[in-house]
Amino acid sequence: MCSCSRFLLLVLLVLSTALQGFANLNGSADPAGTSTDTILLASEPDYPPYCLLDENNQPIGFAVELFRASAEAVGLDVNIQVGPWLAIKKYLAEGKVDALPIVGRTPEREPIYDFTVPYLTLHGAIFVRKDHPGIHSLADLKNKKVFVMGGDNAEEFVRREKVSDFIYTTTTFDEAFQKLAIGEADAVITQWVIGLKLIDRLKLKNVVPLDVQLPGFRIEFCFAVQEGNEALLSRLNEGLSIVMANGTFNDLHHKWFGPVIKERISTADKVRVALWVFVPLLLVMFLLWIVFLRKEVKRRTRHLEEEVVRHKNTWEELQQQQSLLKEKEAEIRLLLNSTAEGIYGVDHSGNCTFMNQSALQALGYAGEQEVIGRNMHDLIHHTHPDGRKFHRDDCRVYQALHEGEGTHVDDEVFWRSDHTSFQVEYFSYPIRQGDDILGTVVTFWDITERKRAESELRALKDSLEEQVNERTAQLEEQIRKLNKSQQALLYMVEDLNEVTLELKEERRKLEQSNQELDAFSYSVSHDLRSPLRAINGYSEFLLEDYAEQLDEEGKRFLTVIRENANKMDRLITDMLNLSRISRTDVRVSAINMTKLAGSVFEEIATETEKRDFELVVEELPEVQGDYNLLKQVWQNLIANALKYSSKSVVRKIEIGANESDSEVVYFVKDHGAGFDPRYKDKLFGVFQRLHSDDDFAGTGVGLAIIQRIVHRHGGRVWAEGEVNQGATFWFALPGK
Amino acid sequence: MEPMNQVEILIVEDNPHDAEMALRALKKNNVSNQVLVVNDGEEALDFVFARGKFAGREKKFRPKIILLDLKLPKIDGLQVLKEIKSNPETKIIPVIMLTSSKEETDMVRSYQLGVNSYIVKPVDFSKFVEAVRDLGFYWLLLNQQPR
Repeated sequence: MCSCSRFLLLVLLVLSTALQGFANLNGSADPAGTSTDTILLASEPDYPPYCLLDENNQPIGFAVELFRASAEAVGLDVNIQVGPWLAIKKYLAEGKVDALPIVGRTPEREPIYDFTVPYLTLHGAIFVRKDHPGIHSLADLKNKKVFVMGGDNAEEFVRREKVSDFIYTTTTFDEAFQKLAIGEADAVITQWVIGLKLIDRLKLKNVVPLDVQLPGFRIEFCFAVQEGNEALLSRLNEGLSIVMANGTFNDLHHKWFGPVIKERISTADKVRVALWVFVPLLLVMFLLWIVFLRKEVKRRTRHLEEEVVRHKNTWEELQQQQSLLKEKEAEIRLLLNSTAEGIYGVDHSGNCTFMNQSALQALGYAGEQEVIGRNMHDLIHHTHPDGRKFHRDDCRVYQALHEGEGTHVDDEVFWRSDHTSFQVEYFSYPIRQGDDILGTVVTFWDITERKRAESELRALKDSLEEQVNERTAQLEEQIRKLNKSQQALLYMVEDLNEVTLELKEERRKLEQSNQELDAFSYSVSHDLRSPLRAINGYSEFLLEDYAEQLDEEGKRFLTVIRENANKMDRLITDMLNLSRISRTDVRVSAINMTKLAGSVFEEIATETEKRDFELVVEELPEVQGDYNLLKQVWQNLIANALKYSSKSVVRKIEIGANESDSEVVYFVKDHGAGFDPRYKDKLFGVFQRLHSDDDFAGTGVGLAIIQRIVHRHGGRVWAEGEVNQGATFWFALPGK
Repeated sequence: MEPMNQVEILIVEDNPHDAEMALRALKKNNVSNQVLVVNDGEEALDFVFARGKFAGREKKFRPKIILLDLKLPKIDGLQVLKEIKSNPETKIIPVIMLTSSKEETDMVRSYQLGVNSYIVKPVDFSKFVEAVRDLGFYWLLLNQQPR
């Protein structure tokens, strides 16, 4: 088995060298293999038995020596630098050294280095402590502390396969194995051979490899050069094939892997050993092999079962996705068919890809199968409303297809299957996949009704405008007429203004005559009184100074003169009073009439009259008026009542009032002389008297004053009476 | 003594009959003070301020009372009142207004100018006598002017 693989290796080496040479003949000018060069090799101190140091700290080991031999075979001198694996690995990547003697060829390293043909295949193993019974397979490492050398292909393996959640790295494998021995690590993974060597060298009694194969950790070892250094690579390949062919490889192999057995054991012993050792060993191995095979079969079976389960899951997922897709499609179809708008899709050539129910109905097709795949322009959009042919190139549905932008149209027609057409509004939008336009979706609806309504509205609007124009004309006519009337009104206003001016002038004149009247009153009071005073005064002087010379008749004449002078004075006083009432302003306030009437009686009645007369005053409503003027009303009325009752038997004065919504009516009633009702309208005239002075003295001004005051308050006066039956005088004032 | 200096009552009255009646009323009340009657406002002021035809008079002898008619020729009663009452030397002289009527504006104006009292000349002479007695006496006899 061993020699067989070596033979294969050899064949490969020869082939690859030949190929390299051929490549060099073709492209490279460098005469590889002819010149003597010195290259720098980097080795490790502790990768037994491949790379290690002897007692003098000189690098030795199988790989180092194989590299030397191979290099020497093609005329390369080798200088060796020693460093920890992580460091030298980096040196090569950076080009600080030219080659490494032993590098496992792993996928992770392919981009960094170039490899020679492999000269060695090593299997990985798990190393554990003997007293660690919990670890039997790779799977058991999941929660264990697994140590590897940093940057080693073992690290790449454990990380690649995610062997454990707790992966630690050390600089060298020595360190990792020592940690394992003292219990800091649960397992170390490395090549089987190297692990055994290390156990031996470090004399670790309690560390053993597990009897488990690691299929993912079978590494082929090669020399490595920097990526792209093909010249050196081909020379090393050539050297390697030379040392394999000339037996140096075998010698070195024997030196490092089999010297003890080779030297001590004789041929007879070999036979004996073969009989006594190898046969049972073979049997044991055979048994072990069977056990291993059964385990492997179980493992594979389990693995396959897992695979089956996984595939089943995937299959179910796919099924689910498919049914989901179907549901979605059904939903979309439902959505499409439930919209009132017609919707259809066309592909890049304008052929129908789908059409919803509304579209089928509108266009008069029984089912989608009648339209799918047919050119939609030719089917429904072929002719303009006026009968002209509608060329495909002009079709705006396709604009979306060609220009990649949505279009909106509302002035075209679609044709039904029965060759009738309808007015249509539609949107056409491109369907995109990435940068490609796959087709368009057209959404349309029948707008025949709308167009009809629009045209009706337009007609209505036109007729309305006509009406408006008519009405406007009528209104303008009316306005014109109104303007005329306004003109007439203006003239009237002008006339009115003139009248107003005239009235103002009249008023001014009136005011002037009022002033004149004032002046007249003043002079009446002043100038007319002087002669009266003289008449009266001098009559008295005559009576006083010449009494003895006058007889009785003479004295009576003088008395008459004096009395008339006095009466004249009273007339003047009353007249002035009357005119003053007309001229003075009315100052309005709230007046308690009950109190006022009572106080007036107290004021003007003599003591005798107060004793003789019965006065009845009802509760009188309050009124708004001029206090002084209304007081004069009561004075005159009560004075009259007293005067005209002076000769009567019944001496009673009643004062009362009636109230209505609009006015308050006050009255003073006596039981005196009364009057002839035929003359009741004359009662309130100035200087009008119904009695002689001999019966009842008076000037005839008192009632005129009352009437004037009441009129100035906006009220009215009247009287009722009969001769010798008493009289009632009423005055009404506006109410609240 | 200059007779004009002895005048105690000055009557300003343009109507000679009214003046006579005033004198008679005073007499009937036994008032015997020296009385002077002037006929218009100008004369009244000339007398009071000792000027014009009364220039020889000594101003310090002031009348005890002036009876002043409201309506006068030349300068009317209110103007005379105003001049007397606006001069510090003469404003202490009591002035009694004599008038024919109780016309409100006249009364109000007179009181504003500082009149001391007011008599409406009645047509009935006996009433005039009573009024002179009631008011004139008060000013002539009871009211002691500062000298």
